[in-house]
Amino acid sequence: MNGLLLVAGREIRTQVRSKAFVVGLVIMVLLVGAISFAPKVLGGPDSYKVGLVASERLPVWGDTKIEWKDYADEAGAQRAVLDGDVDAALVGGTRVLTDGAIDDQLGLLLQSAHREAQIGSSGVKITPLSMESVGADTRYQKTRSGIAVVLVIVLFMLIIGTPMMVAMGVVEEKGSRIVEILLTSVRPWQLLGGKILGLGAVGMINLVAILVAGLGGALASGLAVDFPPGMAGIVVGVCVWFVLGYVFFAALAAALGSLVSRQEEVGNVLTPMTMTMMASYGVAFYSVKEPTSLVATIVSYIPPFSSMVMPVRSAAAEVPLWQVLISAGLMVAGVVVVVLLAARIYERAVLRTGARVRLRDVVTSR
Amino acid sequence: MSSRRADIGVFWAAAVRDIIGHMLETEELRKTFGTGKVALDRVSFAVRPGEMFGFVGANGAGKTTTMRIVMGVLEADSGEVRWKGGPLGFAERRRFGYMPEERGLYQKMKVAEQIDYFGRLHGLSPAASKKATAELVERLGLTERTKDAVEALSLGNQQRVQLAVALVHDPDVLILDEPFSGLDPIAVDALAEALRERARGGVPVIFSSHQLDLVERLCDSVGIISAGRMVASGTVDELRGAEGRKLRVIVADPKPGWADGLSGELTVEGGREVLVTEEDDDQRVLRAAMSAGRVEHFGVERPTLTEIFKEAVA
Ligand SMILES: Nc1ncnc2c1ncn2[C@@H]1O[C@H](COP(=O)(O)OP(=O)(O)O)[C@@H](O)[C@H]1O
Ligand SMILES: [Mg+2]
Repeated sequence: MNGLLLVAGREIRTQVRSKAFVVGLVIMVLLVGAISFAPKVLGGPDSYKVGLVASERLPVWGDTKIEWKDYADEAGAQRAVLDGDVDAALVGGTRVLTDGAIDDQLGLLLQSAHREAQIGSSGVKITPLSMESVGADTRYQKTRSGIAVVLVIVLFMLIIGTPMMVAMGVVEEKGSRIVEILLTSVRPWQLLGGKILGLGAVGMINLVAILVAGLGGALASGLAVDFPPGMAGIVVGVCVWFVLGYVFFAALAAALGSLVSRQEEVGNVLTPMTMTMMASYGVAFYSVKEPTSLVATIVSYIPPFSSMVMPVRSAAAEVPLWQVLISAGLMVAGVVVVVLLAARIYERAVLRTGARVRLRDVVTSR
Repeated sequence: MSSRRADIGVFWAAAVRDIIGHMLETEELRKTFGTGKVALDRVSFAVRPGEMFGFVGANGAGKTTTMRIVMGVLEADSGEVRWKGGPLGFAERRRFGYMPEERGLYQKMKVAEQIDYFGRLHGLSPAASKKATAELVERLGLTERTKDAVEALSLGNQQRVQLAVALVHDPDVLILDEPFSGLDPIAVDALAEALRERARGGVPVIFSSHQLDLVERLCDSVGIISAGRMVASGTVDELRGAEGRKLRVIVADPKPGWADGLSGELTVEGGREVLVTEEDDDQRVLRAAMSAGRVEHFGVERPTLTEIFKEAVA
């Protein structure tokens, strides 16, 4: 155990001190922080400015805010509309001046507020309609999709990037023969496990920093009020799925990496794995748009695809807990199988330097 | 009287046990590679505590393969490696120091940090590892470079770090594959001294080398391997003995035919005749030479390790 922790410690120290890690982390944090700000900046306005000339303020209710501004005469209000100081101007309580066609939402809002004011003045009280969804709760659809998109990108980068580092580390040790000395003082499983643990911790640092930046950005921009209920569950789920997906692919990457002796060969030997990841990524991206589709639902149970698809699916739409648990259980089983197989391959291949070792030779020998 | 004899008996028994108790042995190691290449064919040797064992042989003779099997990096098809009279396992090997033929270090890791890391991996406590690292860095003249990445060092200095990695845990046995290759004469002397010091401390030291003069100068015993077989092993003197003792006589302006009654090879060099002979009776040879002319040289010919090697491998 001690050997494993020593190896893990070295991996963490080496990575955290490297420029690539620091720069990568800063970029990701800024990017995600910016994305969580963006909807507020880019999305449709939820407040309007309306000028008033010889008019009363209209009784507007709901989420949309209207900022009223009084003007002395129509000419002044007209100028303000043309200059873009206000979105519209209400003149004499009867006419609305705009620059071109009026914004649909604002038009509806003003019309209904006007109607209500007229009816209200005749003494009739109107209770607003109460809205109830009998289908899925779609109030948070936009935010959910936004979160899901960010998750797809972040999970994809971390689940593909970190195992890549595992493979490169394995080849570095094999190619430089340092593994010959290492394996006289630690067991192969300690070396492999320590590497996966250490680099996983580095990946986790990245993930947590990104999540904090995203949530922090959302809180700061006020976007967080739109967060769907169970946001904490989504965040925890993402971390768990990252661990599962990472261990699966990292073990695979280490096993494949141990077959070759030169860094130039890493990309080639990892091709089957990167293809699998790209496929997971494709389905995950598709499930952002269609989280309830049959394809997304089925694939969200199949390891290792589930590690990317399930967290995205459950961010994009509500997924019952039992489904998540079944999917996670299957993934855990997949991880166990892959880790055992990878340890076997690694142990047999990592000391065979020279030409690329054939997978069949290591799996079948002895 | 009888009690003293018993004491001596006990003493010798203890001494023998002590020697076997720290001996590293290989017995009938065989290794055939997947390609059908027989790399080792019944390789056996023994290295006593405090003994410096030179492992020599042509390229591809099987030195590296043997050392890798001893270190557990490779598995023999049959045969056994024994340490202290018992089988050699992972826990014991962890106390060995190893320098592989192809040097391996983390290129981007700092010198002191790297040595310390290996100390820890070999089971030293953080404090002990720090201390051992500091001492080695000092001894090997790397003090100025402790904070440099290995890749920034000269090859000679990288080799020193490699040695430090093999020595940091104060190993029970040292196995070094061509540790002298690529070193300048000063570095060779420094390394030789470092190895001698370990041997004096009772550690069996095994190293392979092509530099036979160096092996002859440094080693208590030598193993010669050729095409996967141990063709000779023992102390250099024992190997010489196996060669047969030779006498070399140089006589100036001798009477012609003086050596007719003697076996061996007679050559003429300038006005001198040189006889190299394996005659047992050296006095008879000397008398014949003295009566033939002025004897300029008379001595036992000591074959160099190079000559022994060539003979053994031929
Ligand atoms: N991994 C391997 N696969 C096939 N043949 C090998 C391998 N390693 C060594 N050999 C062969 O075994 C023989 C002994 O090699 P080696 O032990 O490296 O010799 P040395 O160290 O004495 O130069 C050589 O003929 C070499 O080609
Ligand atoms: Mg060799």
